[in-house]
Amino acid sequence: MSTLNSIRDTFFEECEDLMADLADGLAKMQSGSADPETVNAVFRAVHSVKGGAGAFSLTELVAFSHQFETVLDELRSDRLKLQPELMFTLLRSADHLTVLIEAARDGVDVDAVVTQNSAAALRIWLKPSSDAADAPASASESFSFAAVTLDFGAFDQLNDTPNEPELKHYEIAFQPTATLFSNGHEPALLFGELSRLGTVSSTIDLGELPAWEEFDTTVPFMKWTLKLASTAEIDQVRAVFEFVDGLCKLNIVVAPMPVDQEALQFEASLPPAPAPLPMRQAVAEPIAPVPEKPSPAVKAASVSPQISDQHGPKPTLRVELDRVDRLINAVGELIINQAMIAQRVNEMPVTTDSEVVTYVEDYRLLARDIQEAVMAIRAQPVKPLFQRMSRIVREAADATGKSAQLLAFGEEIEVDKTVIERLADPLTHMIRNAVDHGLESPEDRIKAGKEACGTIRLSAAHRSGRVIISIKDDGAGLNRPKILKIAKDKGLIPQDADLVEADIDSLLFQPGFSTAQKVSNLSGRGVGLDVVRTAVTALGGRVAINSVPGQGTEFTISLPLTLAVMDGMVVSVRGQTMIAPISSIVETIRPALSEVHSVGPSSKYLSILGEFIPIIDVAASLGIAPNTSPSDPPLLLLVESENQSQCALIVDEVHDQRQVVIKGLEHNYRSVQGVSAATVLGNGQIALILDLDAIAFQRSAPEAPAEASPLTKGA
Amino acid sequence: MSLKENLRIMIVDDMSVSRALIAQSLDEIGIKHYATENDAKVALGKLAANPVHLVISDMNMPGMTGLQLLRALRSAKTTQRIGFILITGTPSPDIVREGQQLGLNNLIRKPFTSATVKAAIESVVGKL
Repeated sequence: MSTLNSIRDTFFEECEDLMADLADGLAKMQSGSADPETVNAVFRAVHSVKGGAGAFSLTELVAFSHQFETVLDELRSDRLKLQPELMFTLLRSADHLTVLIEAARDGVDVDAVVTQNSAAALRIWLKPSSDAADAPASASESFSFAAVTLDFGAFDQLNDTPNEPELKHYEIAFQPTATLFSNGHEPALLFGELSRLGTVSSTIDLGELPAWEEFDTTVPFMKWTLKLASTAEIDQVRAVFEFVDGLCKLNIVVAPMPVDQEALQFEASLPPAPAPLPMRQAVAEPIAPVPEKPSPAVKAASVSPQISDQHGPKPTLRVELDRVDRLINAVGELIINQAMIAQRVNEMPVTTDSEVVTYVEDYRLLARDIQEAVMAIRAQPVKPLFQRMSRIVREAADATGKSAQLLAFGEEIEVDKTVIERLADPLTHMIRNAVDHGLESPEDRIKAGKEACGTIRLSAAHRSGRVIISIKDDGAGLNRPKILKIAKDKGLIPQDADLVEADIDSLLFQPGFSTAQKVSNLSGRGVGLDVVRTAVTALGGRVAINSVPGQGTEFTISLPLTLAVMDGMVVSVRGQTMIAPISSIVETIRPALSEVHSVGPSSKYLSILGEFIPIIDVAASLGIAPNTSPSDPPLLLLVESENQSQCALIVDEVHDQRQVVIKGLEHNYRSVQGVSAATVLGNGQIALILDLDAIAFQRSAPEAPAEASPLTKGA
Repeated sequence: MSLKENLRIMIVDDMSVSRALIAQSLDEIGIKHYATENDAKVALGKLAANPVHLVISDMNMPGMTGLQLLRALRSAKTTQRIGFILITGTPSPDIVREGQQLGLNNLIRKPFTSATVKAAIESVVGKL
């Protein structure tokens, strides 16, 4: 049944949110900042999973979540006290619940023994006498409920209420003054108070609202007409407004006629063409306000006592990713098309037609707006990813017999969905590494004067148009002599190599490097940090290491916000048009000849602000024929690479700065050293996007065998 | 016109899956006029302004439970006669007792089928 399937999909989507709530709540409980509502929320999350799972006959999931829920219920009703061991069990149970949900979603089986063990761990916390821990059905088997049949006659009475001697209908005209607001009163609260007396409907009069240009935010313009059906006396009604006496225009009268009450009519007594009750809403849609009925109360906004606490999550819309991707693709094409039009207009013989130029500029701004809006659709907070990582830390700590906690910062930072997805594996690996290799054993930690429990700080932050994710442990730091020795033993570097600290650290990213002398449960799966670097580089990111002996190691991943576009500088190198990412460019310089110094046969340095910066010929590093008649002095792009070192790149010309749509080379051609991707320019020409870091890195590692670039043939 | 076509129901459940499942059952039964609401407090406000015949509400919801909603409905003049069916996975004696005191009309146990929902509604409003 397709409807059921789509509801099932919704269930699993909802489960993701529930598990996020669960993780949130458990984290609060762990940190001790939980209130009773937190435990309730945690309980509800598990309960909702169980409820949904029951509807789809996911028996394993039902059984386990029931067990979990039972323990949480004990906790919620204070029959069980929160203690570290219980917290441990709860966290592990949440992890296992996630596994079960994912397995159910993907239709795969989970090792029943693991589930049994997890359930057993939960059962320890239940008193043996408590039969509530048994199968979910047993507790409710005995339940019976005698249905109470509705008396529809009662409804008819409700309509005309003829025998309600006490019910009065008040009409209240209420117009607050500015002082009312400045004294801290709030009409909504007053209305809420009023609704305690009976049923309130309100009509707002915005007739005095001035035009937008003349709008004065300090003057209230709104008037309300409130209708109250209540058995209360007029004095009681007045009492509600006691505190705002003199701060508003108020007129309370007893209405002669009953106010319109939505009649509940049956059978033939239905009005000729009543609009149906609020329309049903499609299941997956955000909850829109239910349309009002075309009754006299059509303008009336219902006022409930809860008017002031009607806040909740912002309404959202779940959309298939395909649709968003199609949109993003189309917008990419739109941007290229816009660039082409702009270029044609510029080349037109009559560019004096300023109108066209203005329109083209408007078009450019519009296209850019659309594009930013579309990109924002794909942006997602890193929170779920980080939450998964705390689970990884727990698993890794269990497997290695270490004690570790994860502190997450900047969970609200938003990154492109694909980036988040493709970051999951490298991040998992790095977190495992941090626990496995970074942290010391509890005994060693105590010896070193640290707490037995190691801390891993995972943080995300925005920095100059990129996202920086950092994984920092408070372990022993990198053992550089050991790294050096292993690299030499494995022949990764010559025996007599003398490397600076940063170079030793980067050895960790060399393929085939693994410092773990014995293969542990976690690492040593033949996957090294080189895989991490490859994955991050594929996302247009970089990994850097920073380590202080005795204090810990920090891995920093720097990522682009989006994979679809970037701001680039259009340059030409040997007649080839290329794009240099703006994010790495510090400045462009044409230095005086005296500032360029030659060191050795091939190396050149730029002297700037008392520093010497290596000069790299882009053409040479890409394997394009070097310039036979070098223009002296060369035009230089001063760039800063990921490890904060600067270098100057020789280009022939700098043309323009523009936003380019990134088109991957790997799928269409292959990965090329020194080139990260390509783009289509306004004139329809394809331009390569330079990988400045790779070009800079090439120079700093000259021993790396010069790779024959396809450009030598292609160019 | 039959009861089925006139009966107005409001479904209150914070989980969209549960709302969808109940809605699906109502569709199968042939009940046309129903609204869904994901927040009991909002539902209460709407019911006060526009009463329905029957509320089908979940028990466990953030902010306001199903029984709290029932209590609030029973304590206001315009809403006190609305039929109320509570849906719960664990109908504990406490819930049943409190429900009876508040004049709960019926209880549906999770997981439910269209048939059990129909039976539960029929026992409250009569043959559909």
